[in-house]
Amino acid sequence: MHPALADITRRQFVARTIASGLAVAAAGGLRAAPAARAAEPSLADGTLQAFADTMIPGSPATITDLGLPIHPRAILGVDGRPGAVEADSLAAGRHPKIGFAALEPAFLADLEARALPLGGPFLELDWDRRVQACLAGLDFGNPARTLWEAAAAIPFVAFCAAAVAPAQRADRASGYRVMGLPGEAPNGYKRASYRRKLARSRTTTGNLP
Amino acid sequence: MAERVDVLIAGTGFGGSIAAFRLAEAYRAAGADPRAIVCLERGERFKHTDFRQAMHADHLSRVYRLVQGQGAQMVTATGVGGGSNLYLAASLRAPTETFERRDRRPGDGPERRMWPDAISRGSLDPYYARAETGLRIARPGWDQVSKSGGVWAAALHAAGHTCDRVPLAISPQRCVDAKWCHTGCVFGAKNTLPTNYLGAAEALGVQVRPGHEVQSVKPSSARPWRYLVTVKTAGGTVEIECKVCILATGAMNDAPILLRSQRDLPSLSEHVGRHLGCNGDHIAAVELNPGKVRELLGLPGYAEFHKGKPITTMSYDFWVGRRGPRYDGTRFNLQEIFLSSLTSFLYDDGREPAGEPSFWGLQKKDAIAHWANRIELLAMVEDTHDGTFLAPSPTGGGAVSPSGGPIEVGTFSYAMSDQSIAVREAANAAMKRIAERRGLGRFMALTETRGVYAAHPLGGCRMAASKDLGVTDDRGAVFDHEGLYCFGSAIIPTSLGVNPSLTIAAVAERAADGLVASMGDLGLPAPAAAHRPQTPREEVGERVVPSWSPPRRLKRLRRRDRLRRRRARRRAHHRRHRRAA
Repeated sequence: MHPALADITRRQFVARTIASGLAVAAAGGLRAAPAARAAEPSLADGTLQAFADTMIPGSPATITDLGLPIHPRAILGVDGRPGAVEADSLAAGRHPKIGFAALEPAFLADLEARALPLGGPFLELDWDRRVQACLAGLDFGNPARTLWEAAAAIPFVAFCAAAVAPAQRADRASGYRVMGLPGEAPNGYKRASYRRKLARSRTTTGNLP
Repeated sequence: MAERVDVLIAGTGFGGSIAAFRLAEAYRAAGADPRAIVCLERGERFKHTDFRQAMHADHLSRVYRLVQGQGAQMVTATGVGGGSNLYLAASLRAPTETFERRDRRPGDGPERRMWPDAISRGSLDPYYARAETGLRIARPGWDQVSKSGGVWAAALHAAGHTCDRVPLAISPQRCVDAKWCHTGCVFGAKNTLPTNYLGAAEALGVQVRPGHEVQSVKPSSARPWRYLVTVKTAGGTVEIECKVCILATGAMNDAPILLRSQRDLPSLSEHVGRHLGCNGDHIAAVELNPGKVRELLGLPGYAEFHKGKPITTMSYDFWVGRRGPRYDGTRFNLQEIFLSSLTSFLYDDGREPAGEPSFWGLQKKDAIAHWANRIELLAMVEDTHDGTFLAPSPTGGGAVSPSGGPIEVGTFSYAMSDQSIAVREAANAAMKRIAERRGLGRFMALTETRGVYAAHPLGGCRMAASKDLGVTDDRGAVFDHEGLYCFGSAIIPTSLGVNPSLTIAAVAERAADGLVASMGDLGLPAPAAAHRPQTPREEVGERVVPSWSPPRRLKRLRRRDRLRRRRARRRAHHRRHRRAA
């Protein structure tokens, strides 16, 4: 492992990498992020979707919550519930405020470099081999781990935070639906409390002396 | 020529808003116009109806900043009202032991009390009381405790521990238990600063200017103006001259501003930019087994993490009974909290076999799918302040935001001391023991414990007894710089053991008292000696009224609880009376 990486945590890697990506994007160094793509997913799109499916796997689907197409080989269907691909992980990574698009080419290069010895392009691998490739990429010994950490954050941003969902509601954000999170609550909730004393209190005011 | 004002306040969080209100009422009392007081805020102005119940990237970009340094990620807020817009409103007094702490990071000066002698729980109590009144803080009844807080209370009880309800700056009348405090309350139910201190200051005449970011401070040669402040706005850079300058931009910004000003203010303490802390924040989660919730806790079920208020219960059992310096650095409190749905990313899956992949993959998906049966826990531990600003960023505060997105690159490093690591491990062990007792749930740890993930940055310009130990005195006055102050989180010298907003507010109230007392000396209109601080008026504005009202049963229960509380108070009074007799 590179000595400079020794004291940097995974989360720090993620945010710093994204931030670095933003810097590059701001400098206009790499291509601008397309807002949405109506055409069939490209090989690169499919590979990113396959990676998202390895981070948060899902059931097979053909379009995302935003109505964007899913590469037919991206989702392996190892889980029976919607996953990160359906929750628009690809669109989240290309959202200008998130800024992963700038890092995409470098990440894809490293991903494929780890996939090929396992039997072919990442998109063509089975579940076990995809996991194997990702374990290697996210290993602290990987000098390109920064890229991987940034890439790994994106599916979670899409799935758990509905960062690009058309509406923050479980019926429009599949991640929220899987989590059991209704999303926005314009009227709040009834029955939010058990309405009874459940423990002995130590203080009379809530504050320690 | 630069614009001239009496008082320039940078930042509209707790420190800035309280300073603005106290100065404004003193101006009024002196028959002067508070328009000579100007508050600058780098973010936007939000009405509560401008907030969104959304983690959408666009909304987060407007209200949040995730500042990534080397070794820590700090979450901060931006906008008029500062952190109060997004905080979870837990408003607690720091325990006595906090102010008596003597533990410190190796190499951090001689053996001493870390807080200045003038500040103790006793000396702060009147200011805590004043801030509680101003922020309208009340402890929720058990009927207002969220189910997630209730599960935590019951789990603690089952494990032989006590659990207290957490006083909140939330209006029980307006709150509808939507649990979206973290992106700004759309109902106007949270008692944010624009609804009290800052709103009242503006009503008195104080000018609040969003979109103004203070860059640096230098001395002015044109007396009575003391400082010339450089400010970045959308229209370019402007300069404002002032008699008194108060930096209240938070721990992530005050120190970088002063570091950037060091060349013009060479007498600043060498401690500027050092001792950045995170209030000992350490988070984890627990996935509950619904069957065990019924069997072991006697509750009808759970799966409703999304309902209620984000913080309602906590245990002091790992703090109480550890009095004296020998326990310094070992205490912590455990609070049930809802941070956001995104923090799912931070925890391991809690499933066997342990090991990789721990934070992604099939097992992680399974853990996320049980999110509704989860609670999150915030341990607030007695760690040391381990961060240092390496250099100020070229502009702004201590970070650069290349794209205007919510993620910024911070120019600080954070290397946890052995104490900071050990006390977090102790907190992990305590949480795991309670969570997994008799199979109640799975404990899910932060996947990486070498770094810090925190929402409560403190320090960077800590207060101290002298300039060789800190940047300001106990009233926020920067050593050797008349008329220059730091109010707010940047001067707090240690982690607190509780959520910091109320202590920041109390310290600011105390500092404001000192400032008001010296207004005449500073060339500001001085109020009469009889002037007494008032409670800021509530300024909620047009609020969103949800389509349902609390059910009658709830009202009945609340009434019953109020009666119970009254009876309990009466009984306590009689007991005291009998004892005295």
